Amino acid sequence: MGITKILTASTAIVMALNSAAWAEELTISAWGGFFEETLAAEIYPGFTAETGIEVRSIAQPEDSTWMTQLMAAARAGQAPADLSLVVDEVLLRGNEVGLWAELDPAAMPGTESLLDGYVKLNGDGNAFAVGALAFYTTFVTNTDFDADAPASWAELWEPKWDGKLGIVTTPNSGLLEVTAKTFFGGVDVLQTRDGIEQVIAKIAELKPQVSLWYRDEGQFQQSLESGELNAGLYYHDVTMLSVWDGLPVASTFPAEGGIVSDAYWVVPRDSEHIEAAEKFLDYMSRPEAQALMARMMGVTPIVPRDSMDLTDEEFAAVGSDIEPIRVQTEIHLREGDWLETKYQEMIAQ
Amino acid sequence: MGAARMMRMPSYGSRLISGLAFGVMAVFFVVPLIFMIVVSFYQPDPMGFYKVDFVWENYAKFFSSFYYTVSLRSLYSSALGAVLVVAFAFPLVLFVSDLSRSHQQFWIISLLSLMCLSEVIIGFAWLILMSQSAGIPGFLEWIGLWDNPRSLSPSFGAMMIGLVFLGFSIVALILYPSVSRRDRSIEEAAVTLGTPPRLVFFKILLPTFRASLVPVTLTMFVYMLGVFVMPTMLGRPKDWTMTVIISDKALGDANLPLGAALAVVMLIVTVLVLIASAVLTRRRTP
Repeated sequence: MGITKILTASTAIVMALNSAAWAEELTISAWGGFFEETLAAEIYPGFTAETGIEVRSIAQPEDSTWMTQLMAAARAGQAPADLSLVVDEVLLRGNEVGLWAELDPAAMPGTESLLDGYVKLNGDGNAFAVGALAFYTTFVTNTDFDADAPASWAELWEPKWDGKLGIVTTPNSGLLEVTAKTFFGGVDVLQTRDGIEQVIAKIAELKPQVSLWYRDEGQFQQSLESGELNAGLYYHDVTMLSVWDGLPVASTFPAEGGIVSDAYWVVPRDSEHIEAAEKFLDYMSRPEAQALMARMMGVTPIVPRDSMDLTDEEFAAVGSDIEPIRVQTEIHLREGDWLETKYQEMIAQ
Repeated sequence: MGAARMMRMPSYGSRLISGLAFGVMAVFFVVPLIFMIVVSFYQPDPMGFYKVDFVWENYAKFFSSFYYTVSLRSLYSSALGAVLVVAFAFPLVLFVSDLSRSHQQFWIISLLSLMCLSEVIIGFAWLILMSQSAGIPGFLEWIGLWDNPRSLSPSFGAMMIGLVFLGFSIVALILYPSVSRRDRSIEEAAVTLGTPPRLVFFKILLPTFRASLVPVTLTMFVYMLGVFVMPTMLGRPKDWTMTVIISDKALGDANLPLGAALAVVMLIVTVLVLIASAVLTRRRTP
C-alpha cells in the first residue's frame, strides 16, 4: 500500500518534471483590448489543452507602430512575439524586408480548410503568413438619433446627421473604396492618381458634417454611445458587443457592402518556436476554431460556411451575404506617401 | 601641502561632474539627434521600410504647401499658448505670494499635484467637461442659458484651454520663488510717489520680472510645440500641429525618413525663433 503510494507519487513527480521540462511556451501578440483579452481567455486555452503548449498573450499597439517595433527588434536579432496578428499591409511590407519566418505548409494540414488565398506562399512554396480572421467596418449609427438603418453608404453624405459624423483619419479605413463603389461605379477609379483625387474630393464634401476625425477608437465608440456623434465608420464586431449590451447603437451593412479587412498570423524571423507556431496555426485554421472565434469575438470566419456549425443567426451577426468592399492594399502601398499626404491635406486644410 | 591639495580637489570634482554631464548629454541627446539626422536622408520605401541612401527628397517635401502651412500653424498656436499661460499664471503667482504662509503652501501643493496628472488624463477630463451631454454645455442647457447645446470640442479654443492647463502649474512653480522673494518696498515706493495702485502691475511688476517672464514664455513655447495629445484630442484637424503630422508619418505610415526630416526642420525653425527672440529681448534691455 505504502509502496504503491510512493510509486504513484514519484511517477507523478517525474511526469510533472518531464512535462515541465518539455512544456513549450508561445508568446502571441494581438491588438490590445478586446481582441487580445478574448483570444487569451476563450481561444488559446483550447490550443493549450490539445498540445500542451502554453500561450503567453501580449497586447500589441496599432499596426504600423507595431511593425516599426518588430523591425527594430529584428535588427537586434530578437522576436518580441512568436506569433503576431497583423493586417495585410503590415504583412506585405514586412515580407518585402524579410521580417517573417518561413513556415512549412505540410506541417499545418489544418490550413487546407481555409478559403483560397489565405495561406501566403513565397517563391519557394513556403508560407510566410496564414489567414487568422476577417473583420468588417460598417456604417454605424446612434439609434436614439435615427432608428432607421441606412440603406446606402450615400446617406453618409446627406446633411441629416446634424454635423455629428465620426470618420477615421487614416486613408486605409476603407472610405476611399466605399466612395469609389458608391459614386464612381467601383474601385477601378482608384487605379490612377486622377481618379484618387476625384474620390478624395468627394470625401472632402463630408467635412462640414464631420465633427470628429478620430484616431483613437475608444473616443469614437464612447462618443457614438453617448450621442455626441450620430453616425460614422466603425468596426462591426465591437459595435455588435455594444448592441448586445443594450446601448443605443446599430451596425448596418449598406447595399454596397461592408468594408472587409483580413488579419493574418505571422511569425517574426527570429522566433525560436517555429514548430510550435506551426502547430498553433494548424489549430487556429480548423473550422471549429474559426466558429469559436466568430461566436466569442464577432469576427468573420475565413473557412467555407458549410464547414462550420454556425447557425444562420450566428452567421448573420458576424457578416453579411452582400459582397464586401475590400480595402485595396496594393494601391495604398503603391501610392504610399503621396496618397497619405493628399488625404491628410484634405482633412487638415 | 594640505592646503594645496584642498584647493585642487574641487577642480577634479568639477571636471568629473562636467565630464559626466557631457557624457549624459552625448548619450541621451546628441546620439539620438545624429541618428535622426542620418535617417532623414534615407530613402523611404513604401513597400518595405527604408533604404540606406543619401537623398534630399524628404526635405524637399517639407516645402510643399501643406507642411509649410502646418508648421506656421504650430508656431502660432504654441506662441499664443505660451503667452496665454504666462499671462494667466503670473498674476496668480503674485496673488499667492501675498497670502499667508499656510495658504501659500496649499497653493503650491495644489499646483504640484496638477503636475502629476498625465496629458491624456487632462485631455480626457476636458473632453468630458466640454461634451454636450455631460459637460459645461449640458449644464448651461440645464440652467436655461443655452437652448441647443453643442459639444465645445474639438475646437481651437478647446485645444488652447488644454495647452494652457498643461503648462499652467509649470510656469507658476518656475515663477514662484523669485516672485515671493521680491522687494516689496519698490511697489510701496511707487504708490507713495503717486503711481495709481492699478497701474503698479504694468509699470513696476511687469518690467521688474521681464527677465524671468521672457525665458519662461520661450520655454513654454518650445514645450507646447512638442505637445501631441491636446491637438489630437481637443483640436480639429485644422489645429493639428507638426508634432501630430510627424508622428503620423513616422509611426502611422512607418515612414521614418520623412518623419525625421520634418522633425529636423522643426528643430531648426525652433532654434531660429529662440535665437531671434533672445537677440531681440537683449537689445531692448537697457
